[in-house]
Amino acid sequence: MATVVVARPAARPTPRARDEEVLVWPDLVFVEFISAMLFTVLLFVLSYVMNAPLLDEANANVTNDPAKAPWYLLNLQELLLHMNAALAGIVVPTVWLIVLMVFPYFDRSTDGQGRWFADVNSVKNTVVSFNVGMWGTLALIIWNSGKAALWAKDWFGFSGGSTLAFLERSAALKDPSVVPWPGWADSIPYLWFNLKILDEGPGAGVTTFQKIDLPTLLVDIGIPTGFMVGFSCLLIFFFWRINWVHTRRDALITLMSGFVGVFLMLTVIGTAFRGPGQDLIWPWDLRTLEGIPGQE
Amino acid sequence: MAVEQPTQPTLGDQIYDKLFHNYVWRSIFRTGYPNTPRNQMLVVATNVFLHLHPTRIHRTHVKITHTYCLGGLTFFMFLGLTVTGILLMFYYVPSVDRAYLDIQNIQTNVQFGQLMRNMHRWMAHAMVILVFLHMLRVFYTGAYKPPREFNWVVGVVLLVLTFLLSFTGYLLPWDQLAFWAITVGTNIAGSAPVLGPKTRFWLLGGFEVGPDALIRFYTLHVIGLPLLAAIFMAVHFWRIRRDGGLARPL
Repeated sequence: MATVVVARPAARPTPRARDEEVLVWPDLVFVEFISAMLFTVLLFVLSYVMNAPLLDEANANVTNDPAKAPWYLLNLQELLLHMNAALAGIVVPTVWLIVLMVFPYFDRSTDGQGRWFADVNSVKNTVVSFNVGMWGTLALIIWNSGKAALWAKDWFGFSGGSTLAFLERSAALKDPSVVPWPGWADSIPYLWFNLKILDEGPGAGVTTFQKIDLPTLLVDIGIPTGFMVGFSCLLIFFFWRINWVHTRRDALITLMSGFVGVFLMLTVIGTAFRGPGQDLIWPWDLRTLEGIPGQE
Repeated sequence: MAVEQPTQPTLGDQIYDKLFHNYVWRSIFRTGYPNTPRNQMLVVATNVFLHLHPTRIHRTHVKITHTYCLGGLTFFMFLGLTVTGILLMFYYVPSVDRAYLDIQNIQTNVQFGQLMRNMHRWMAHAMVILVFLHMLRVFYTGAYKPPREFNWVVGVVLLVLTFLLSFTGYLLPWDQLAFWAITVGTNIAGSAPVLGPKTRFWLLGGFEVGPDALIRFYTLHVIGLPLLAAIFMAVHFWRIRRDGGLARPL
């Protein structure tokens, strides 16, 4: 008799032991029902005690300061303050979403699924990566805001002068008085013709693609990219050296937990610690609290 | 030899019988409360709302601490947002002249209007938070692993759609908060290399946030994105079944 070979997916659900199973009605349906009811009640109470914000009618002539995006985008808005706009607003989120989607194709083992933190080092890996991401981000934000230099001056009388201005913010590195950039560095031709893209609308300029501004490229794109990619790789490498990362799954846990820490810190800073002119301030000094849900 | 005699039905039994065994009730619910395992499986398999579920489930999956109901609650938020959103649509006209006044009207003149608007707002925030936590749950339980790779990808798409749904809704009250948040948000999109300004123009229907942006955001918010999200959700839920239910240790 001929054998028929049927193509099968690489991993298939395995047959279950019937005695390990419970009936969906009532065991699951009731849990769902109760959680749905609990949330309904919670949201009713919340809606009763707290009104949705409504400010004055929209007016294009009166700028809100600080003008803030919805809170779940404030992490991106915070990033915008520290690097090239296209990098922060488009490239970083797009690349990260693609990286997220690629996760299961990178880590193809079926080990440790269906249990919380099933891998050996996953809890300490998660906790440490999360904290490194969170506090590392805070440190970088404080450094780039110039606050660190200000405090150093206030507390220790330390003043770096213009040569140490990069200690205040990374953008100072573009300044020829800080870094002796040669005169040709800010217009290095790389195309032999002048490619222009005309943007329409008020305030739109011409985008040309003929020359590279090396200091700007390095400072606004190079340094932040270096930090983001470099720190991630460094952390995974370090965990690999101390035997916390053995598998691809471990590397992903480091990456994801670090991301959650960074994401959280950026969102919190952007929401509660950015005042007029996007300056770092304490939340209680926020004059208008538009970015915070529920505050009017 | 004493033979057990059938007793007369009590008053309670008679009322119960009249209420739940009459012709109209039977036309809606063909069976009574499913009190045998066989009927409980049947009701899950044959009920239009319940048949998303399998009839049985591994016992570890009904533990609250396994999923914290996060995915289900996200879907529940979507349903609640649909209901409150439809109610708000009765009173809201997406034109620059009326939008803000309509919101004020909803808050002051409409019975339970303020409550509906609050519910819609807080549910939207809750949905964003819940969908993010759901993603973390799936990640930390290793539930994206084979054979569920593609469902994870669908989930990432749904995460983005949730953000977009919330973002498009943010403009509709047409107050200063909405206006400047969307200005900032679309400026972020506009900063993309090469395609940025065009993308921003398509999003806003112009160079700045105005009447065209409002109608675009409204249309996307009430029909375009929910439809897309519903399609992806259908695939997401269907794939859970196809991939053998929730992930569990092999």
